Amino acid sequence: MSFIIEIENLKKSFGKKTILHEVSLNISPGESYVIIGGSGTGKSVLIKCILRLLDIDSGIVKINGKNVNDLPQSEMLKTLLRCGVLYQGGALFDSLNVIDNVSFGLVYGYRKSTKEAYKIAIDKLEAVDLDEKIAFSFPSELSGGMKKRVALARAIATDPDIIFFDEPTTGLDPITSGTINELIVKCTKEMGISALSITHDINSLKFISDRVGLLHGGRIIWEGSKGDLMTTDDPYVQQFITGSPIGPFTGKND
Amino acid sequence: MFVVRFLEKIGQVFISFLMAIGEITVFSYRSLSAGIRPPYYWKQIAQQSLQIGYFSLPVVGMTALFVGVAMALQCYLGFSEFTAETAIPSVVMIAMTRELGPVLTALMVAGRLGASMTAEIGTMMVTEQIDALTTLSVNSHKYLVFPRLLTGSLLLPFLVFVDDIIGILGGYLTGVYYLGFNSSNYIHNTFSSMSSQDVISGLIKGVVFGFTICLMGCYHGYSSQGGAEGVGRATTNSVVASSIMILLLDCILTFVLF
Ligand SMILES: Nc1ncnc2c1ncn2[C@@H]1O[C@H](COP(=O)(O)OP(=O)(O)OP(=O)(O)O)[C@@H](O)[C@H]1O
Ligand SMILES: [Mg+2]
Repeated sequence: MSFIIEIENLKKSFGKKTILHEVSLNISPGESYVIIGGSGTGKSVLIKCILRLLDIDSGIVKINGKNVNDLPQSEMLKTLLRCGVLYQGGALFDSLNVIDNVSFGLVYGYRKSTKEAYKIAIDKLEAVDLDEKIAFSFPSELSGGMKKRVALARAIATDPDIIFFDEPTTGLDPITSGTINELIVKCTKEMGISALSITHDINSLKFISDRVGLLHGGRIIWEGSKGDLMTTDDPYVQQFITGSPIGPFTGKND
Repeated sequence: MFVVRFLEKIGQVFISFLMAIGEITVFSYRSLSAGIRPPYYWKQIAQQSLQIGYFSLPVVGMTALFVGVAMALQCYLGFSEFTAETAIPSVVMIAMTRELGPVLTALMVAGRLGASMTAEIGTMMVTEQIDALTTLSVNSHKYLVFPRLLTGSLLLPFLVFVDDIIGILGGYLTGVYYLGFNSSNYIHNTFSSMSSQDVISGLIKGVVFGFTICLMGCYHGYSSQGGAEGVGRATTNSVVASSIMILLLDCILTFVLF
């Protein structure tokens, strides 16, 4: 079976500081893979390397079997059209209102008419529990949690094959988090979309993941299913799940 | 020892200068080659046209008026010693069209628009909005940079032209209502010495300056790093770089178009 995402020995450094030493992981179509790991271990950087937003030092990254670092710019943009991305900070366009943000990929990527794109955008806003009343507000007028949900709506608006969620539930109240978790599960289970998520939220982790990888020291040091997560005796994973200050994590990154 | 370190420093500055030139060349090539291929983002182009061509008019018009008035007065001071007052209209005209019109317009626009371009694009850079554009399958050079380069190069000459007219008008008003020139003589003196070369050379400068301001504005926006502080630094660099470039290019172009 072919993988939708294949990463082999990815290495990425900024100047002399190596963030990712050798990361390898594969994601099958329809699978929900979740990366956990301490703050600053390079989880967001990993997503950006996959999407070629950052140049990598060495290794191979393939999306849908295509090596992203070999693709010309126009091909890469086409590949990205099949990817949805939720950025950690939302990254909403602050010069555009909510509905133009959500429909952006449809209008500029798929070149749909504004009317058609708006209709889809309203549906997506509903899917993330937002009232269509805010459709014409600007991002600066929204609360942090609302921005996150608008960004989420934008990420799923184009019905992509794979979605990257960088901390989808951070900064949301438990009830909205629950809705978002259900939405992610719906995407992966019912619509067959693959997902690569990053989370620090253990509830969300248990709910949305098929497979989990723990990133530490620039490597995936543990990988397993949701079930393994609870039963493993790996001290890193145990410490991560319990949140205990005593264990192999020192809080500092090497 | 000191000499070696001094030479080393000069070498470093020289190398980073060459590297910057290389980067800016690649940057403009990427933006132009992406921009000339369809689809065209008309909405962005229209928005930028409004920003550059319309909202800059008050600032540009005001400076032109003040400078035109001051020019006429200064010329009077100098020329009346040699009873050469009749040369005032043509000197004001040549100074405005060939030199002050393009340079002043460009400097004002660099302060007004170059700065805001860098701040806007820089903020988009540090808040991942440019990454978001890319992952929504839009070439950010085509969407952000090309419309600015295009409208900047096309509309700055227009602003220069407006500046020329208002500057000459300022000179006329001073000459006629303050220095006591005869109105029809003043107008006659202005236009009899005017050649199309004067106006055209100013407009050519306008095209080059407009492109330069927008290129510097966008390039520095893209090179913003860190947070608000980085954007602030990039904005300063952008305005300083475009002002120096404007004056340098003005010198070169004046030699070429002389
Ligand atoms: N553009 C950059 N230039 C230099 N260093 C960077 C850059 N981007 C990220 N880093 C560094 O890479 C490391 C990993 O950053 P990253 O944002 O991936 O962390 P993270 O795992 O997502 O953490 P968090 O859970 O807090 O979001 C950090 O030490 C950061 O300083
Ligand atoms: Mg992160």
